[in-house]
Formats: sequence, C-alpha cells, structure tokens
Amino acid sequence: MLFSSITFLYYFLPIVLGLYFIVPRQWKNSVLLLASLLFYGWGEPKYLFLMTLSIGLGYLFGIGMERQSKHKVRKILCTVSVAISLSFLLYFKYADFFIANFNTATGLSVPLLRIALPIGISFYTFQMISYTMDVYQGEKAQTNIIHLATYIAMFPQLIAGPIVRYSDIAAQLKQRQHSAALAAAGIRRFVLGLAKKILIANQLGELCAAFRVSNEKSVLFYWLYGIAFLFHIYFDFSGYSDMAIGLGKIFGFRFLENFNYPYMAGSITEFWRRWHISLGTWFRDYVYIPLGGNRCSKPRQIINILVVWFLTGFWHGAAWNFIVWGLFFAVFLVIEKSGILSFMQKSKILASFYVLFLVMVSFIIFNAADMKEAVSDIAGLFGGHGVPLVSAEAIYQLRSFAVVLVLAAVGATSLPKTAMEKLISQSSFLGKSISALEPVFLLGLLLMMTGYLADGSFNPFLYFRF
Amino acid sequence: MQATKKEHMICGLFAVFLAAAFGLFIFWPQPEYFMDERRLPAKFPEVSAESLLSGRFMGGFEKYATDAVPFRINFRRLKAVSALYLFHRQDNHGIYLQDGYTAKMEYPLNQANFLRAAERFRYVYDKYLNENNQVFLSLIPDKNYFLAKSSGHLWMDYSWIEETMSRKVDFAEYIGIFDLLKIEDYYQTDTHWRQEKIKPVAERIAQKTGVILPEDYQPKMANPEFYGVYYGQSGLPLPPESLQYLMNQEIQMAQVFDLQNGKEIPVYDETLALGRDGYEMFLSGPLSLIKIENPAAPKDKKMVIFRDSFGSALAPLLIPGYSQIYLADIRYLHPDRLGKYIDFENSDILFLYSTLVLNHSETLK
Repeated sequence: MLFSSITFLYYFLPIVLGLYFIVPRQWKNSVLLLASLLFYGWGEPKYLFLMTLSIGLGYLFGIGMERQSKHKVRKILCTVSVAISLSFLLYFKYADFFIANFNTATGLSVPLLRIALPIGISFYTFQMISYTMDVYQGEKAQTNIIHLATYIAMFPQLIAGPIVRYSDIAAQLKQRQHSAALAAAGIRRFVLGLAKKILIANQLGELCAAFRVSNEKSVLFYWLYGIAFLFHIYFDFSGYSDMAIGLGKIFGFRFLENFNYPYMAGSITEFWRRWHISLGTWFRDYVYIPLGGNRCSKPRQIINILVVWFLTGFWHGAAWNFIVWGLFFAVFLVIEKSGILSFMQKSKILASFYVLFLVMVSFIIFNAADMKEAVSDIAGLFGGHGVPLVSAEAIYQLRSFAVVLVLAAVGATSLPKTAMEKLISQSSFLGKSISALEPVFLLGLLLMMTGYLADGSFNPFLYFRF
Repeated sequence: MQATKKEHMICGLFAVFLAAAFGLFIFWPQPEYFMDERRLPAKFPEVSAESLLSGRFMGGFEKYATDAVPFRINFRRLKAVSALYLFHRQDNHGIYLQDGYTAKMEYPLNQANFLRAAERFRYVYDKYLNENNQVFLSLIPDKNYFLAKSSGHLWMDYSWIEETMSRKVDFAEYIGIFDLLKIEDYYQTDTHWRQEKIKPVAERIAQKTGVILPEDYQPKMANPEFYGVYYGQSGLPLPPESLQYLMNQEIQMAQVFDLQNGKEIPVYDETLALGRDGYEMFLSGPLSLIKIENPAAPKDKKMVIFRDSFGSALAPLLIPGYSQIYLADIRYLHPDRLGKYIDFENSDILFLYSTLVLNHSETLK
C-alpha cells in the first residue's frame, strides 16, 4: 500500500488510528501489528509468509542467544540468524543477478528464476539483523513476539525505512507516551512529507519520464533530467521518511532522522552524513566498524571503505549500475580523506557545486536501466551522441517545470524552515497569523493533494524497489 | 499555552477530517457514469480467495477508491487549477488553455505514421480506384496549429505534413483548407470543428469536384450546454458552449443508412446531442460505414469519403450536391471489405483526415 494513495489516506489510516486510540494500552502493539500485516499483505499477499517466517526465526534466535551463557554458542547463533536473514535476501533479490553474471562469464545458459522482489525485504532484513546483532551485543532479547513483530513489520517504516535500530526503539515498544504535542508534530510531518512526495517528487517524476521517452534529446534536456532526478529522488525518499517519522510520532514512537538537507553538504563525506542516515549508520555500525573502521592502516581503511560502499550500492539493487554507484562514492570518499577536504572548505560555493554535480552524476547512474544507459546519459550532459545544445521539447519542459524546480531547489535547503521559525518566533502579527493558520494550511494541503490523487497522477515510491 | 491549543487544534482537525472523509467515502453514492470524463467508474472488485491472494482485489480496490472520491470533479478541478496557476505548469495531462480554447498537445510529429497513412490510402486506390475516379485529399489542422506557436507549446511541422502528404498521395488532388480555418471555427472544449463554421470548407471541396452548394443552410441549436472532451480531460472549470448544426431541405430529406448495424439513422440525432458525447449527434458518431442518399439531388453525383470524426460534421453539408455519399472509416473497417458495399465506379473520392489521426495512423487498417 502506498502512503500517497486514496486507499491509505481515507480507508486504512482512519480505521487504524481509530482502533489504535480506542483500544487499551496493552493492545496497541497488536493493533499496529495487524495493521502492518494488512498494509504489507495489501501489496504482497504471497510474501507475508516470508516476512512472518523471518520474524519467527529472528525471535527464536534472539531468545536462544539470551539463554546461552557461552559466548561461542551465542556467536554461532548470531551468525546463523544473520546468515538465514541474508540468505532470504540473497535468494529473493540477488539470485537472478548471480545467475545472469555466471551465464555471461561461463557462456552457459542457466535459466533465471525470475522471482518477484518482495517489497521492503532489504529494509526488514536489515532491521532483523540489527535486532540479532544488538541482542548478541547485550541488548535484552524481546520475549514478546508481538513486540518484536511490531518492530520489524511496523507499517510506517516497513517498506522504505528509515531503518530503525532495535536498540533505539526497544523501550518504546514496551512503553511509550502519547501526547497531543507529539501527535500534532507527527501530523505536521506526515502532511509535509506527503506534499513533498505528491506536489514536488511526482511532478519531477513526470519530467524524468518525459525525458526518457523523448526522441528529441539535447544537452539542455540531459541537464534538465539530471537536475530533475536529483530533486525527484530527494523529495520522493525524504518525503517518505517524513511520513514514516510523522506516523511514528502519532503512534508515540520517536524514529531517528533519515535526512538532514543533504544537498547543503560541502563534501561527499558530509553528504553521506546527511543522506539516508539510517542506512549509513547501519553500515557504519554493523559492517565498517567490525571490519576495523578507521582504526587500522591506511590501505586497510581504503579496503574497508570500498567493501562498505560496494555493499551499499549492492543493497540498493541487484545490478551493476548500483554497484558502480556505490563505488563511485567510495572513490570520492577516499579522495576526500586524502586531504582535499580542507582545500575545498575554502570556497563554500565551489564545494556546493562539486557535491551537487557528483551527486547528480551518481543518481544518473543510479536511475539508469543499465550501465550502457548510464554512460549514455552522462555523455549526453556534455554533448555526447552529437545531440544539439537545445531542443524545442527541452525548452518547453524547462518552462513547464521551472516553478517546480525552483521550489524543489529552495525546499531542499533549510531556508524555508529557518525563515518560518524566525517569523513565528518574532511574535509579530505576521508570525502569529502564520502560526495560527497552520492547522488550516495543513488541511488545505491535504485537500489539494487529494485532488492530485483523485486525478490519478501518482507514482510509486522509488525506494519501494529496494 | 497557545502552542498546546494549536497542537490540540491540529489533532482535532485532522481527526475530524479523516473521520468525516472516511464516512463520506463509505456512504457517498458513486455515479453510474462520469459525464465529464466520459467513462464508467471502476467498480468495487470481486472478493474471493483467489482475488485476495493474487492481489487482484487490491489492485481493483485502488482503482475503485480513486474513482470513489466524493466531490471528485471538484478535486480534479483543484488539481488542474493548482497545476496551471500555482505551479505554472504549461499543460495538465497534455492539455493547455490558450485564449479560452483548450487543446491537447500533439507532439512529436511521427513521420513514419504519416507515411503509413499515405501507404494505406494508396492501398485503397490500387484496390478500388483508377483514373476514371476524381480523387482528392484534404487535411484538417488540429487546434495546435492555431494556438501552440503563440502560446509556446509544442507543435508539429504542419508545412511538412501538407507537403509530404500531397507528394506521397500523388494519385489525389490536394485540397488545402488550412487557410479557410481559424481557431474560432473549433469548439473551445472539444477537439472538433464547429459545423456552422465550416461551410467555406464544404464549398471548396464541392467546388473542386464540380458541385455548387446552396446558400440556404439554417443554424439550429442542439445543445446550449455542450461540454467537449477536453472539458473532462483537463479538469478545468470551463464554461459550456453551444452545439449547433446546419439544416436545409435536402439535408432534411436525406436518408442515412448505418451499414455497420443495418439500420436507418438520422443525419442529426438531437438526443445524442444531449448525451455523453454531444458531437455524436452528427451522423451518429463513430460508425464504420454509412450511406447517405439524397433523393432531391440535381444530378447523379456520387462521393466516397474516407474520414475520421471530423468528417461526420462536414458530410451533411455536402448532401445537397450529391445523390449518394458513402462515409468509410478505415479505423474500424478493413478496406478489403469495402468492395462488398460500395460501387466505386464513377464516384468521386475524398480522403479527409485530421492531422491528429494521421499522426497516430497505426489505427488505420
């Protein structure tokens, strides 16, 4: 089920919220779990079994680890549990990638399995691993399977994150406070996230789609596409995270932030501290640090970075362009570690252009169907294939999406938030009016977005495929 | 204190809104037909173990829920207006508004499709026609021809279209009509031209075939509140327009046969003018083969028109000059089957097509 759908907004959400706040405290997790199973089963009924199996096994291994006093046995149980979780992911997500590459390398023609990717498997597998590792490292195992299943399957972040670490949420699963203040913050966050998705990301998605089918490419059109996709993926993904965090707050949970204005970063290193924070943290804590992290020789550090970014790319998709995308960042992270950072910090504007250009190129690779298309799209930015500088269609699309692009560019910075906070804090008439009208503004936004949904112009979230 | 009040207000408003919306969604009666969108709404999907397990129910429900939005037309309007005026998008679903006229961008020009159309016309010529037939080709510009250049929207190269088609269809004499038309000759909310405005077009075509049309056509009102196809597609709040037709004695006396369904039909069906697509009042809309007989014709003059929907409005104006007119729509009927119904001998032939249809000539059989 999509957050940005009529079904979710006007059927699922009212029923779930109504039930959740009616039932006594001890039943709230059960309501959330049932809602989450329905939410997941709505899109993937046949893979409900896979997710419940994964949860059941994780639960048993968690209990098993806690009951074992021998470190060695705990380690074996942890390894087996992680291996089982990863084997599901490998089979359902990567089997055909390995077979296809094996066929290419050997000239054989082993038939592909053509398994449909279970939605959200990358996210819930990583949460399951997080739980197992945290229990292995001393966190108390969850004895209530409803609580554990609620943590893994919780619908706000089940499909596209943020990846919530078990240790961050364990206490909240058992006991959490609900308040009007938290719920209001959640509603605000949810509505604004929905607006980011429907009003900005979806419109830019239309521009990207128009570019892809156009037979009238030009240098301008390639750049327009690159910039549009740069903002499209940010508003799509961060909008989803906002909605997840907002819904979490309504249900009394406090999820960690997943984005912090990544396009304001002054380096690639900083960019990755601001982009998909939960994934970066996961790889840092469960892969990079166990590999030795920074506390090892320089060559070993470089290898660690390459391994982490190879895995980060591969996590995003079973295709070479995702691996190249990950390693692309690894290269620049290594370069930045070599001392270039201090040089770049001398000019903020230059650093911004450097980051935005590299990130744009990276997302062109990311969004390509394959490496051939990625190379072709990047070449197009510089006039490759002999394309003209401009085309009528590119100019038209630029005119048609100019306002959306400007809104996206401004909205990707902290400027609107800072300006709004400043206005409201000034206690001026304008500030007071803005603050007072906020509920009406949020309602107006909801109504406008209902118009966009009724008109049928919505796209699935990009991160659903991961 | 004030912040807490506001937070309560946000929570309360959100809760009331969601509850009210949920209630409306459950109890709002769904229309049997979306008049503005000219389509049936999605029905509530069948519930069964198979449909649930396969996900078919869920897919069907998503469609149903999107169609079941209460005040749907208002919400679509809100979207269209915000897209055009708030986000300054140049079009909504490819439809734009310029000088009060809506048009759907037709872009890019598909050269292969124009060449294919020429090839299909040649097929008809080779199969049924010879030098004894007077053969004509006429192209109808779509509304973008008049609007797109000044509004900055995308448009096709119409000079290429005219030049290429007249060259490729060299067995036909090209009758240019672009110079006779202006945007006011089209409906503001529809694709089509207005019958009451295209008399000069009919006269030029008739004149080329050696026929002089009378002057006595009387305008009649069929529907003062006509909404064209772009009204619903654009979602924009547009005013209705009048749907008129031209009548005279010969047209009144003419007999029209729908050879597809084997029945007689009126030239103008006023009940259809008030129906789902008012433009269907002209020769009952999309029919594959029609025969018109004019018992009051001054001489035995026959014409076969290969046409699209634009031809439905033009053909009645030609009735006074011909004893018999066939209208064939080869989007619905393969040309091979025409010989069974039409005697092409000594008939004048007119290929009359809009640039819209020719740019999608994959529909021509």
